[in-house]
Amino acid sequence: MEQNIRLSHMSHWKTVPYRQIGNFREFYYEDRSNNCYYMDWDRILRYHRATGYEGIELAPWDLGEILGLFGTPAEYTAFAKDHGIEVSGMFHGCNDSHIAGKHGDVVAAGKRAVDTLAAFGGKHLNTCPGNNYYGNGPLDVEGLRNIASCLDEIGEYAESKGIAVGIHNEFFCVTNRENHRQLIELTNPKYVHYCLDTAQVALMGDDLIDFYDTYRERIATFHFKDTADIGVPDEIRYDRDVEIRDDGHRWFWEPGEGILPLEELWRHMRDYGFRGWLTVEDDGSPDYLAAMALSSYYINEKLGKIYR
Amino acid sequence: MNLCFSTEAVDLDNQAPNRNRRESRYFWDELNHLIAAGGFCRIEIPYEPKWDFGGRSGIPRTKRSMTTKFGTVAGYAAFLRENGITGGIACIHMNPSLFASSGILPMYLGASKHYAEEAVETAAEAGCGIVTLTATPPYFASGKLIGDGTEEDFLAAVAGVIADLAAYAGEKGVTLCVKNEYWTLVRGEKIHDFVEKLPASVMLDVDTANLKIAGADPAEMIRKCAGRIGVVHITDTAFTDTEEAWKTALPEYPPAGATKVFRDPGDGEIDFSGIAAALEETGYDGLVVFNPKDSCDISRSILRSRWFADHVFRSGATVNSAMTAKENMTACHSAKEVSGGRPEWNRI
Repeated sequence: MEQNIRLSHMSHWKTVPYRQIGNFREFYYEDRSNNCYYMDWDRILRYHRATGYEGIELAPWDLGEILGLFGTPAEYTAFAKDHGIEVSGMFHGCNDSHIAGKHGDVVAAGKRAVDTLAAFGGKHLNTCPGNNYYGNGPLDVEGLRNIASCLDEIGEYAESKGIAVGIHNEFFCVTNRENHRQLIELTNPKYVHYCLDTAQVALMGDDLIDFYDTYRERIATFHFKDTADIGVPDEIRYDRDVEIRDDGHRWFWEPGEGILPLEELWRHMRDYGFRGWLTVEDDGSPDYLAAMALSSYYINEKLGKIYR
Repeated sequence: MNLCFSTEAVDLDNQAPNRNRRESRYFWDELNHLIAAGGFCRIEIPYEPKWDFGGRSGIPRTKRSMTTKFGTVAGYAAFLRENGITGGIACIHMNPSLFASSGILPMYLGASKHYAEEAVETAAEAGCGIVTLTATPPYFASGKLIGDGTEEDFLAAVAGVIADLAAYAGEKGVTLCVKNEYWTLVRGEKIHDFVEKLPASVMLDVDTANLKIAGADPAEMIRKCAGRIGVVHITDTAFTDTEEAWKTALPEYPPAGATKVFRDPGDGEIDFSGIAAALEETGYDGLVVFNPKDSCDISRSILRSRWFADHVFRSGATVNSAMTAKENMTACHSAKEVSGGRPEWNRI
């Protein structure tokens, strides 16, 4: 039976240096550790399939190595397809989009990202709208309009390629608690969608359920993760290099391991009838394979009883 | 000789469980204690601006990181001294291959020069005397930069940048060295012709595993280049590049057969007794950096390096240049048990 929600997983594996390890046993005996289990795309993609994912979302900073190993996006996509996995989307960052003089460069970079994703066969370009808050915020309305203008232009181009640009607002982004909803309103709903990162919105201090209900028509996909920190104080969100903490504190947890009302959100998604890709994001986890399995179990066995 | 441990042992690029720890400051703060407990009082750092772009300033591999977390580079150097690294940063390795991904030569040369100058500034401010620069990006990436041009013109352009950097390093009181990993265009013995194009102030980085993989004899290289060696890297390998992995996109991950190219000292096949003999014979008294690059187990690599330094690389035991490292390790271990002495020469 076709399901309403298709699970994808964000690729935070950093560099995967081999396409396929043919001498796995021999390689294992070099240091008799589990390192060799995380070094080739063949096994990483098998883990996706085995833990119940149909898709993978690519990180743009990995593309150099991916293309070095596979030659072309089509070759990677075919390899993934052989493992039962599709490329669902890719992340992108619109750095300097708040600066009017950078408009051309930002849009050109965005269009290149759209072309790259199209070559991989992906459908969602989940896009951080701007720089970090530190050194750039607070923004005036003109700055917000500049960002919206970039997103509109990239989004219009993306639509022509069958790709949805979705705003993905990090909790330390220049568009933040005080104006991230305003940014959404300033963009053209025809071309600019939203990728709801459940943890990021809560970390910013917004109400997850209210946010979903307000923007559900624009939410094209999700970055689905949990957190144990709702409403992080301004002095942290607006500080330098916020994402990685000196003491190893984690902002993000696997769905079900934090405190977000994910079951309530899922009921709202059911009531609205959300259909499409939902990308689990396990960044910050010390063990991605375990995190993939934990997340998949929670979604299939817990949330899946509500809606799937 | 002054011994040093390279924090290039910490693999940030590849994914295995618990990699996430390596992005936070607490990990690096503790690493100083582990290195010091392993008997090393100096460190080498790889200068890696890629972590700047992601805002990972807990990773002390650039000037930005050091100033973000410690106020100044000198502040970071003082922190190191207070935490067991009493000799501070002794060497900085700058590998500009990151900037080759654009495939645009002027961008590569410009970015390489900019960040190499920053590495030199960082060295000067940290009281570090050596910056060693990877001569060219990997063969595969270099090919994209060369495009329709020639390798000769490319190397001339790179040599021009290095000459400028050497002058800048000289002003800052820093020695600039060139490193020729086995995947560069000046691998192995090819470095000799390239060095001829560089100012006399530019010294050589003798990296044992990289030379061996490229088909050169590290001991012979030491003898041949005596007087022009700025730093020696003790790296080990058991890899023989029969399938020309050095020409591939990820040359340190041979596609024909997965292997850990760089291993802990003593865990490979390099004849270190011969290298130690060559260094002694030529009167080398500079920096020796132990670099178990991209370690699978960092604490273990530190301790293995220390054991290797004390018992194998040069010890009170008879050095037999025909011995492999493993054979020598056994011999030195037996000798130590008999003598009960701990060689002090490398405790400087």
